[in-house]
Amino acid sequence: MTHPRHDLFEDVAVRLDSVSLRYDTSEDILSDIDLVLKPGSFSFLTGASGAGKTSLLKLLYLALKPSRGEVSLFGRPTSNLTRDQLSALRRRVGVVFQEFRLLEHLSAYENVALPLRVLGRRESDYRADVEELLAWVGLGQRLHAKPPTLSGGEQQRVAIARAVVTQPDILIADEPTGNVDPEMGTRLMRLFLELNKRRQTTVIIATHDLGLVRQVEAPVYRLTNRLLVQDVEFGGQAARRRTDPGLGG
Amino acid sequence: MSRVKETPLLPVEDVREAALFFVVGALCFLAALAALSAKSTYGAAKSWTAEVQGELTVSLPAADRRGADDAAKIIRQIDGVRDVRVFSKDEIDALLEPNFGNRGLPDSLPLPQLVAVKADPAAPDMGPTIARKLTEAGIASAVDEHADWAGDVRRVLAIARMTAMIAVALLVSTAVAVIAFATHAALLARRDIVDVLHLAGARDRFIAGLFERRFWVLGLRAGSVGALMALGAAAIMIFTVQAHGGRSGLLPELSLDFFDLVILVITPVIAGFAARLAARITVIRALKGVM
Ligand SMILES: Nc1ncnc2c1ncn2[C@@H]1O[C@H](COP(=O)(O)OP(=O)(O)O)[C@@H](O)[C@H]1O
Ligand SMILES: [Mg+2]
Repeated sequence: MTHPRHDLFEDVAVRLDSVSLRYDTSEDILSDIDLVLKPGSFSFLTGASGAGKTSLLKLLYLALKPSRGEVSLFGRPTSNLTRDQLSALRRRVGVVFQEFRLLEHLSAYENVALPLRVLGRRESDYRADVEELLAWVGLGQRLHAKPPTLSGGEQQRVAIARAVVTQPDILIADEPTGNVDPEMGTRLMRLFLELNKRRQTTVIIATHDLGLVRQVEAPVYRLTNRLLVQDVEFGGQAARRRTDPGLGG
Repeated sequence: MSRVKETPLLPVEDVREAALFFVVGALCFLAALAALSAKSTYGAAKSWTAEVQGELTVSLPAADRRGADDAAKIIRQIDGVRDVRVFSKDEIDALLEPNFGNRGLPDSLPLPQLVAVKADPAAPDMGPTIARKLTEAGIASAVDEHADWAGDVRRVLAIARMTAMIAVALLVSTAVAVIAFATHAALLARRDIVDVLHLAGARDRFIAGLFERRFWVLGLRAGSVGALMALGAAAIMIFTVQAHGGRSGLLPELSLDFFDLVILVITPVIAGFAARLAARITVIRALKGVM
């Protein structure tokens, strides 16, 4: 399997420069935000419900344009890219949506394989990989189940498998443990850590579950009053010890 | 082979698609019929024109049978005249039968003698020439060039043809508009799927392709059904006309020829392409609205 990791010039996976976001309404939801995520880093994004976590992640996975400022992925500013160039960048980003967004008429297997179909891969070429991945998230026996027949936790794991099946360079997960019990939450968190370690995938996880955050030594960014701050309590020293010295942002 | 059983990314929507199928099928039926009639008026005009070119009827109001033979002799000598024939009494009776019934005409009724002339269609001014020669010979005559009447018929048929072609154009654009609406509705209904594909890095043309394929197949199928129904309707029309003696004054060319079949075969293809194009444009436009 070809696996183009970050090329030499991509010393930054994600970069936000003075980014602000407002919806059609009057007020900024996010204001003047700077953020740098290094390749292979693992970070949390926290904040109260409604603080703008999902909105910030949407900017990162190129679902929204910022009202002001610049979003760069892999060192490339995205504001002036063509639609096809944006598609190419999106292919390097895996997303676990807060509400899963599984396609109900497709089986668990087909949902996970969806990004591969988008890439034009042949079913015979990826079948084994997808089955292995589903086994890895504990769904080896539920390949042909449709999402409505799966439990919340099972759906979540299908969504996670779909997000990582293309071995993306960046994994963005929006409250990926929101619908599962603490035990499953811990298991899923281990899964993200493993991806991060094994493939050097840049991981950012939005969550308001501080218990979960405390399990991992990683930088924690917190949204509060439209601003993004890095939490000293959970980040800093701990994060630097866990991953390579260049980290920390 | 494993690809065959892949579930389509767009789920089948039976109710909506059945309604659309009906509408597109009906439009194709009407369009095929309109195209067939446009074509048959064209054929009719052509065959009429060919038939009557160079045909003239000379009526001699004051002549008896012998006067008619004299006139025929004079006409025969004119350059470009190919055939001259004096109508018999029976033929004249037959011509007047629609007006006077089939019991023959009273002998006391003064009737003109009629001379049928066939001339080279390319010969110029045949009518005036005949009239002049007869006048010079002291024979009163009225010359009727059939092509003059054909001109009227041709004009009427040309208008009918234009009307039929405009109908075809309108029906095709209606089909395109209907499919564009349907695509829009399908897009809204499948917003979730489109979003997921988009965020997975699917290009616009990949997403458009899903809708294009769906509506291409629908257009082909609905168009085939419409064309088959048009074929059936045309067949019934032809059968009815032929069963009643085939004397359908204005419908001289009533039969299905090769080009009619071509029309029927391309109807579904045009429907398919129109559907595809409408779907593509609608989807690409809608996607331009998202990042
Ligand atoms: N599409 C939208 N249009 C308008 N306002 C929105 C939209 N999405 C989110 N918001 C508002 O933006 C704020 C942040 O929402 P969100 O990013 O979902 O926060 P979080 O994920 O932290 O709960 C909320 O006040 C929410 O109501
Ligand atoms: Mg959220």
